[in-house]
Amino acid sequence: MKEIIVAVAGQPNSGKSTIFNMLTGARQHVANYPGVTVEKRTGRYSYKGDAVTLVDLPGTYSLTSYSPEERIARDFLLHEKPAVVLDIVDAANLERNLYLTFQLDEMGIPLVVALNMMDVAEGRGLKIDTYKLSELLRTVVVPTVGKKGRGGGELKEAILNTYQGGRFQTGYGEAYKGCSACPGMSREKGSFRVDYGEELEPILSSLENRLSEAPKISARYPARWLAVKLMENDSEARRLVQKAEES
Amino acid sequence: MTLNDVKPGQACCIARVNLGGATGQRLMDMGFTPGAKVKVVRNAPLVDPVDLTLRGYHVSIRHQEAGGVEVEEL
Repeated sequence: MKEIIVAVAGQPNSGKSTIFNMLTGARQHVANYPGVTVEKRTGRYSYKGDAVTLVDLPGTYSLTSYSPEERIARDFLLHEKPAVVLDIVDAANLERNLYLTFQLDEMGIPLVVALNMMDVAEGRGLKIDTYKLSELLRTVVVPTVGKKGRGGGELKEAILNTYQGGRFQTGYGEAYKGCSACPGMSREKGSFRVDYGEELEPILSSLENRLSEAPKISARYPARWLAVKLMENDSEARRLVQKAEES
Repeated sequence: MTLNDVKPGQACCIARVNLGGATGQRLMDMGFTPGAKVKVVRNAPLVDPVDLTLRGYHVSIRHQEAGGVEVEEL
C-alpha cells in the first residue's frame, strides 16, 4: 500500500473544497464566496488499494509571492513535492482559470485537470471540447459537477493513473478507452509549454539553461518555472536561488 | 484615458496597467492585460465598486484601481 500525496489547487470559488469533500467524503465548510479556505487542509481516501492524501490548498489566481494564500499554495507545491496536482478549473470561467493551470504546469508536477461546474457552463451555452483541451494541455481533463457528485470516480482513476504513469508517457490514455467522460491525455510525448514569444524566449532559455547547470538549484526547483519567476523579478524566487547556492 | 473614464454600457480595450505591487499583479492575474476587452456594466449604488465584464466573467473593482488601468476606445 502506497501513500499518494495529491494537492488540490485552483482559483478562488472554482469548487476546490466541494471536489475535496466529494472525493474524501468529508464535510468541510463550503460557501459560495471566495476565500473560504485560507489554510491548507488534508483528507484521505483509498482507491484500488492505495491511500491517497488530499491537501486542499487555498484558492489563488496565480502563484506569485504577493499574498499569504499564494505563498501557502506555492510553498507547498515547491517544498512538499506532492505526487500529483489536481487543478480545479471553473468551466464557466475557463480563460481566467487556465492562467493558473499554466503556472501549475510550469512547476513540473504531474497534473490532472478537473473541469468543474460543467452544468453551469452548459447552462450558459458553452460547449467545451474536453478531449481537445486534454490534447493541448497534454494532461487528463475530467469534466465534473462537484455539487452533484459527478466525475468523482473518473477523477480518482485519473489521479491514480497519473501517479503511476508519471508525466507525458505514450499510451497514457489507454486506461480511458471506452470511458466517454474521461478522454485521456495525449499519446504524444512531450510537455505542454507556454511560448512567451520571440522577445522573451531567448532570454528565458538562456536563464533556464544556466539554472539547469547549477546542480544545487536544479535538484530542487524546476528550471523553467524558476526562470519565469526570476524574469518577473519575484523576490521569493531570488531568495530561493541564493539560498540553494549557499547551501 | 483610464478605465475610470469609461461610462456604464461602454466597452474599451486595455492598453496598460499602471499599477505596481500586489494590486497590479492581482489585476493582471485576473486577466487585465493589454489587448483584453473590458465592458463597464454599472456602478454600485454608492459609486464604488464598478462592475465590469472581461474574458467572459464579471468582476468588481474600485474606481481608484480602475484609474490605474489605461484603456483605448474601441
